[in-house]
Amino acid sequence: MISCTDFIPAYSELFKFLEEQGGKEAVEGFWNHLSDRFLTNLRDLVAEHGIRGCWLYWNHTLNEEAADFTMELDEEAGVFRIEMHHCPSMGRLIQLDHIEPYHDYCRHCDVLYRRVLEPMGYKYEVDMSECHEARCSLTVSRPG
Amino acid sequence: MAKQVITRRASDNAYLHKDFHGALSVGLEYLEEHYGEEAVREYLHRFARAFYAPLTGRLQQVGLAALEEHFAAMYRAEGAQPRTARTADDLFVEVDACPAVVHMRRHNYPVSRLFYETTRTVNEAICEGTAFAAELLDYDDETGRSIQHFYRRPL
Repeated sequence: MISCTDFIPAYSELFKFLEEQGGKEAVEGFWNHLSDRFLTNLRDLVAEHGIRGCWLYWNHTLNEEAADFTMELDEEAGVFRIEMHHCPSMGRLIQLDHIEPYHDYCRHCDVLYRRVLEPMGYKYEVDMSECHEARCSLTVSRPG
Repeated sequence: MAKQVITRRASDNAYLHKDFHGALSVGLEYLEEHYGEEAVREYLHRFARAFYAPLTGRLQQVGLAALEEHFAAMYRAEGAQPRTARTADDLFVEVDACPAVVHMRRHNYPVSRLFYETTRTVNEAICEGTAFAAELLDYDDETGRSIQHFYRRPL
C-alpha cells in the first residue's frame, strides 16, 4: 500500500510518467479522465446545493489535507472563493529534496475543477502566479 | 443569507485524506487501459525507487528494522493493526485488511485490478539494490488482506 500521505509525490511522478509515455496530451487526458471518473462528489454536491456545494466539498477535502487557507461563501452574490495560503500538496513537493515536482503540477487543479463547474454554468477562475511558492486562489461565481 | 468565512492553519488538522487512495486507483486503471499492465508496474517501480530512496538507504544501513518501523507506522496511521514478526533475516508484515481498499470499497470508488501492485511492486522496488528482497505471500483483492515477506537474499 502507498500511504495516502505519500499520494502527492506518487501523483506528481504519475504525471511525469504519463508525459514520458504520451507527451502533455497524455497528462491532460488523464486529468480529464480523473475529473469525469472521480470528482462525481463535487458534481453531485453542486447539483444539489448550488454554489454551497463548493463550500461543502472543499471544507471536507481541505481540512483533511491540513491546508492553510481562507474560504469564503457569499450565496447571495453567488461567489465562492479559496485563498490558499499554503497548499499542502505543492508545499509537500517543494519540501522534498530528493524528488522534483512535475513541472506543471498545479495546473491539474485548474483542469479538474473547471471541467466539473463550467458545464454546470459557473465561472471558474484561478490565480496560479504564486503556485511555485504553494500559494494560489480560486473563485467560483454564478453569473447573475 | 449571511456570508461565511473560515480560516484554517495547517496545524489545525491532521493530514489524512484517504480519498487520495481512490485517485491513485483511477490513475492505475488509466495507465493500464492506455499503456498496458506493464506500464502500471513500471510507473510504481519508478515512483518507489525515487520516493522511497531514503527508506532503501535505511534498509541498507540498519536492516529490516527500518522496514518494520515504516510499515507499522504507515498502517497504524491509517487505522489498521499490522502484525509484524522480525529476525535479522526475515520480516513478516500481516494486515487483516488494507486501509486503502477498505476506504475505496466503503465509498464505492473503483478499485484497480492491479491495486495489489502498490504493495508487491513497491515493496520489491524498496528492496532493490539492498541485501534484502520482498515477496507478497498472500493478497485478497476484496479486502487487501495481505502477508508481506521481506528476507535476506541468498548469497
